Amino acid sequence: MKLGQLRVAAGFAAIALALTACSSTSTSSASNATADKDARVVVANFRAPVSNWALESDDAYVLSIAGCLETLTKYDQTEKKVEPMLATSWKQTSDTVWEFDLRKNVKFQDGTAFDAKAVTSAMNHVLKATAPARAVNPKTIKKVEAVDADTVRVTTPAADPLLPYRMASVNAGVLSPAAYTSKGIDPMNHCTGPFTPVSEKSGQSLTLDRNENYWDGDVKLAGGEIRYITEGATRATQVQTGEADISMSIPATSLATLEADSKISVLKADSPRTSTLYLNNSRAPFDDVNLRKAATMSLDLPAMAASIYEGAAQPATGPFAPSEPWANSDLAVPAVNIEEAKKLVEASDYKQDKPLEIIAITERAEFAGVGAIIQEQFKQIGLKANVVTKSYGSVEPDVLAGKYDMILSQRNRMIDIADPIGFLQADYTCEGGYNLSHYCNKDYDKLISEALTENDQTKRNDLYRQAGDILAEDAANVWLVNEQAIDGVGNQVQGYVQDPLTRYVLTKDLAKTK
Amino acid sequence: MLRRVVGLGAAVLLSSFAVFLVPFVSPGDPVRSLLRARMDIGEADEATVQAYADQFGLHDPMLVQFGRWLGQFFSGDMGLSYISGTPVADQVLPAIGVTLSLAGTALLVAVLVSILLGVLSATCAGAWPDKLITSATHALIAIPEYALAPLLVLLFAVRWSLLPSAGFDSPASMVLPVFILSLRPISFFTVAVRSGVHQAVDSEHVLAARARGLSRTQALIRHVIPHGLLPLWTMVGVWFAGLLGGSVIVEVIFAIPGMGRLIFDAITDADIPVAQGGVVVVVTCAVLATGIIDVVHKLSDPNVRIGVRHG
Repeated sequence: MKLGQLRVAAGFAAIALALTACSSTSTSSASNATADKDARVVVANFRAPVSNWALESDDAYVLSIAGCLETLTKYDQTEKKVEPMLATSWKQTSDTVWEFDLRKNVKFQDGTAFDAKAVTSAMNHVLKATAPARAVNPKTIKKVEAVDADTVRVTTPAADPLLPYRMASVNAGVLSPAAYTSKGIDPMNHCTGPFTPVSEKSGQSLTLDRNENYWDGDVKLAGGEIRYITEGATRATQVQTGEADISMSIPATSLATLEADSKISVLKADSPRTSTLYLNNSRAPFDDVNLRKAATMSLDLPAMAASIYEGAAQPATGPFAPSEPWANSDLAVPAVNIEEAKKLVEASDYKQDKPLEIIAITERAEFAGVGAIIQEQFKQIGLKANVVTKSYGSVEPDVLAGKYDMILSQRNRMIDIADPIGFLQADYTCEGGYNLSHYCNKDYDKLISEALTENDQTKRNDLYRQAGDILAEDAANVWLVNEQAIDGVGNQVQGYVQDPLTRYVLTKDLAKTK
Repeated sequence: MLRRVVGLGAAVLLSSFAVFLVPFVSPGDPVRSLLRARMDIGEADEATVQAYADQFGLHDPMLVQFGRWLGQFFSGDMGLSYISGTPVADQVLPAIGVTLSLAGTALLVAVLVSILLGVLSATCAGAWPDKLITSATHALIAIPEYALAPLLVLLFAVRWSLLPSAGFDSPASMVLPVFILSLRPISFFTVAVRSGVHQAVDSEHVLAARARGLSRTQALIRHVIPHGLLPLWTMVGVWFAGLLGGSVIVEVIFAIPGMGRLIFDAITDADIPVAQGGVVVVVTCAVLATGIIDVVHKLSDPNVRIGVRHG
C-alpha cells in the first residue's frame, strides 16, 4: 500500500476510532434475559501466576481478577477516584500518618475475622519482600500498625498524598493470616472477595465458587474459572468458540474477526500505555531539540495506527492518552510537515556519515514493522537509520547508560497505582531511576516536586498536565500510538465493566444468562 | 549397562552446564530478567537487584554457582526456582507428566498409522496407493506446526465446534495437539517402514519362508513386517527425545503446561534452576527411552536374537 493510500485509510480509521473510543470504560450490555444463578463464567486471562502467589508480584493481579483478593481502597476507573473497599474511610492525621477505618462486617472466607491485626500482618509481609512491590514497599511505607481492632495506622517516610492510591494497589491486598505459610501464599479459602478459590490446575487455571457470605451482598454467579492463556490468538479463539465467556487483552490481529462475530461484544478502552520512540536526549544527534522536533514532524502517526495496529490503537497526541484526566485536551496529533522537518535537519549538526540505530524490542512483535515505517519516513527528511531487533533485557543496560540512539518501547503510566506520578518521576526527571531518554529539564522537575506533595487531586492533575506540556514542547520522545485494552465478551455475559488496568473481572455484579 | 549409566550422567551434566551458561553469555542482567518475570518490573533499583541476587547467590562466580547446583543435585535436590521460590521439582514433575502423555500418545498414534501406511505402501510399490501415500507423507513433512495448528483450530473448534481450542484437561483437548505432533513422525516413520518392508520382502529368509509353503500374508506377518519395522524403533527413540523438550509451539498455541514451554520460559526469564531441572529430567527420560528402544530393537531383530541366543 502506498503512503497516500495509507493516509486515506488512516483518516477513516482515525474518525472511526474517535467515535468508538470516547470513554475509558465500557459495559457489556447483554440482553434483558434473566441471569442464571447457577451459571459460571470462564475468563481467558493473559497472565499466568509464576511467583507462587506472592502478593508483591504480578500474581496478585490474577487473584484480584478472580474476585478473591481485595484491598482497603479501590480506584474507580469511571469516576477516576479512590473509593472505600475493605476500609470505610481514611484520614491524614499528619503529613506522614494516615489512619484507615476498617469495615466491620467482613470475614475471611475461612471464617476468621478481618481486623486491624490481619491487615497489619498482611501489609508487613509484603513490605518485607526481597523484591518489593512498586506501589507498596519500604520506600513508600515506613510502618503499618493496629490502633485498635478496626483502625490501622500507616506511616510514610515522607508526605505522600497518594497513599490511598497505593492502598488500592493489588499488591496491598489482604488475605487471612492462615494464607501466609512457610511454603508461600495459599489463597485457597483465604480471601474476602465475592469468589473463593477452590482448586487450581497447575499452569492452567484457577477455579472459584461463589462466596455465600460476601460482605457486599449477593453474588450473582455460582462461580468462575480463570484460565491462564498467554497466547493472544488462543484467547481470541476461546471467546469465539464459547469456551471462554470473557477474553482479556485481545491482540490487534484478532480484532476484525471478533468484531464480525455477532455473538461477541468487543470492548475497548484507552490503556495507560503509549508506544514510544525513545530518543536519547543525552548525546548527538538527539540532544538537539530541533532534530527531535523534526523526527516528530516526519512521522505519520494516524497511518501507523491504522496499518500496523489495525485500528487497535489511536495516534498519540503527547505523553498521555486523551481520556486521562491530566491530559491536555488542546494537544492534537502532530501534523506531518516534511518540508519543515527537512529544514530543521539541514540546520542541525547531524551528518549522514553513520546511520542511526532504531532498536525494536522483540517482546513486541509489531515494533519491527513500526521501525521499518519510521526508517522509511525518516529517509524523507534526510535522517538515515537502521532497524535492529533485540530483546529488551539485552539492551536495557546500554539504554540506561545512554549508549543508544533510539529504542521503540512502551511503559505503563499507572504502574500499580492509578496516578502517573511514579512514571513521570522515574522516566523524565533529571535523577529519574528509569529515564530511558535521559531527558532533563529543571522546570519539569520542579512541577513534579510540587505534585509529589500536592493533596488536591485537581491541582495535582493540573501539574501533571503542565509537565506533559513541557515534555511535548521539548519533544523529549516521539509518542506514537496510545494502545487500547481490548476485551472480547460473550453476549450471555451481563454486568461486565472493562478495567483497562486489568484488576477487576469476576465481581459480585457479573452475571450470565441461560 | 554401566556404559549407559555413565553416558546418561555425562549427557545430563553437559546439557545442564550448557543451559547454565545461557545467562552468562547473554547480554543483559539476569537478575533484572527474573524481576521482570515476577513483576513486569522495569525500574528495579540497584538495592532491589542486589538483594535479590544475594538471596540466590547470583553474583557469585559462575563455577561457584554451578558447583552449588551440582552439590544440591547429587543430594537429590533440584533447588528452588529463582522466580517463584518454590522447589524446582514442583514445577518440573507436573510438566514432564503432561509432556510424557502428550509425546507418548503422539508417538503411539504415529507408530500405528505409519505401520499401516508403510506396509500398504511397500506391498503396493509403484501402484497408486503407494504413490498417494508417498506424496502425502512428503507434503506432511513440509507443513509447519505454527501454520497447521491455527488452521485445525479454526476448522474443528471455531467452525464445527467439535473439539476444544486449547487446554489439557480432557481426552478431547488432547486430540488436536496429539494429531499435530504426530504428523511429522508419521511422515518419517512411514518412509522408514516402507523402505524396511520393501527390503524385507526381497530378503532371502522371506523367500525361504515362502518356499517352505507360507502364504504371502503369513510371510508378511511373520517375517516381513517384524524385519521391516527394525529401522522404525530407532527413529521412535530419537523422536521421543525430541518431542519431550521440543513441542514448544504446540504447547504455547494450545496453552498446555508442558516441558518444552517450561524450559523455554525458564531460559528466557533466566530462571536457571528450573531450566536445568527441566533439562536433566528431559535428558534422563530421553536416555531411558532410547535404552528401552534398544531392548525392543534387539528383541525384534531376528539376527540379534539369534546372536544373543548363540552368544
